[in-house]
Amino acid sequence: MSLTKLLSDAGRVAMADMYYLRRNIWVLLATSLVTPLLYLVAFGYGLGRGVVMEGVSYMAFMIPGVVALTTLTACFTSIANKIMVQRRFYESFDEMKLCPISKSSIILGKTILGVLKGALCCILLLVMGQFLTDDLHITVGLLVCMLLSCFVYSLLGVTAGLLVDNLPKMNLFNSFVILPMTFLCGTMFSIEALPEAARWVIEALPLTHTTACIRATALDWLFPWTSLVVTFAYGVMFFVISWFILDRQKE
Amino acid sequence: MKYGDFTAVDHIDVSVRQGEIFGFLGPNGAGKTTTVKVLTTITHPTSGEVRIGGLDQRDHLEAVRAEIGLVQQHIALDKDISVRENIICHALLHKVPRHEIQSRMVRFSDAMGLTPYLDQVINDLSGGWKRKTAIPCALMHQPSILFLDEPTAGLDTQSRHMLWDMLRTLNRQGVTIFLTTHYMDEAESLCDRVSVISRGKIVDSGTPRELCDRLGRTAVEYDSPDGRQYRYFRDWNEGKSFYASLNSESAVIRGTHLEDVFLEETGRESCQAIEKALRV
Repeated sequence: MSLTKLLSDAGRVAMADMYYLRRNIWVLLATSLVTPLLYLVAFGYGLGRGVVMEGVSYMAFMIPGVVALTTLTACFTSIANKIMVQRRFYESFDEMKLCPISKSSIILGKTILGVLKGALCCILLLVMGQFLTDDLHITVGLLVCMLLSCFVYSLLGVTAGLLVDNLPKMNLFNSFVILPMTFLCGTMFSIEALPEAARWVIEALPLTHTTACIRATALDWLFPWTSLVVTFAYGVMFFVISWFILDRQKE
Repeated sequence: MKYGDFTAVDHIDVSVRQGEIFGFLGPNGAGKTTTVKVLTTITHPTSGEVRIGGLDQRDHLEAVRAEIGLVQQHIALDKDISVRENIICHALLHKVPRHEIQSRMVRFSDAMGLTPYLDQVINDLSGGWKRKTAIPCALMHQPSILFLDEPTAGLDTQSRHMLWDMLRTLNRQGVTIFLTTHYMDEAESLCDRVSVISRGKIVDSGTPRELCDRLGRTAVEYDSPDGRQYRYFRDWNEGKSFYASLNSESAVIRGTHLEDVFLEETGRESCQAIEKALRV
């Protein structure tokens, strides 16, 4: 299958979500931005005023971390919940199985809503960040890392949406996977401060690496290429898992 | 078709002729929806084969899917977007040429009386209008066979009749229709042929008239100590003699309906058991 056909079909899959985004954009942005803004106010201003972290102000250190965690929460939540609802409650996902659209296009198409929503939230946060600290640089590299991160967590949302069958299980996944990641993966503190055993676990989680990439490009630090490779690897893994789940369900 | 140890549909053999309206009748849980899911390729059978338009489902999956339109029992629409947007999305997913989407949408929306509701969000519509929206969605890629799983469940009388008229019109235009229902008046009014399924097995097939004739054209119902009783007779005179012999005010003589066939074949006994229990 050609790349053009893959992307064109992904666009067809994304169309319903685009209509949904257009109708609800302000609500979606507002709900996704409340938590990161609270983190910035509570931790950035409340606790971190005057603190220097790894050579920069705490606010400058924290904003890229909050951007990284927003790529996770904004993308994952919208995609996972929407697919789960479409499968279990609306049953509109079954209709998609009858269409002449490949599994790869369905997976890619379903990520588009998450990538757009995540990117919009992060851009707003970065623009706000410009008024809060002078150390933050909005570069092409930062935008690329941010989009990659949105894409990877949207793929995680597709995987969870295809796997999880009801709201309590989705809440369980949120409580035991997503929430711990948002706090522990170096988004708001340096993981160097943690005991070595804990660091090993945290280094294995994807948000640690997307945070490292986003922070390095935002603060003009040495770029962590290993983290970029790990982020890619997670993206490929989520895509492959989604493909096999869909294959079992579709065929 | 098995789910673990449970056999939902057991060795059924159904053939639908091109251009007919075929009714698949059965009580709740008889296996109607499972059969539709198998026929429409949503679920794969654990054994057996399905051929649509002469093509084996397993070997020609995409070609078979292109011929199928489906209106599911649960209205499978995106409830957060409008009628128009749902129809467009279905058309795009089925790769309807973009320049034809508008004209087809207008044609099918007009036929369903949906035009004034095109810009309403699905969640704001009543159940009947939601169900009507599902039909143009299923028709946008111009399938040759339309599957409808209990299409009139929950609709008011006007909406049911409007839907029946629409299905007849579609059928006249060449669309083969396979519908499941547990409303016997619907099957009697619409269907050229029907099959009755009970506990996963086909218990009878034929035209509604043939099924009634097999049971007996004349029905007599009357009260007895064991509850309401039903007797069927080959002709009216035979039934009339029996009716006269009853000499009871509660006795009724009438023509046999498809509902009688349905109840006899899927379990009138259970209804009578309930009636008896309530009397005690």
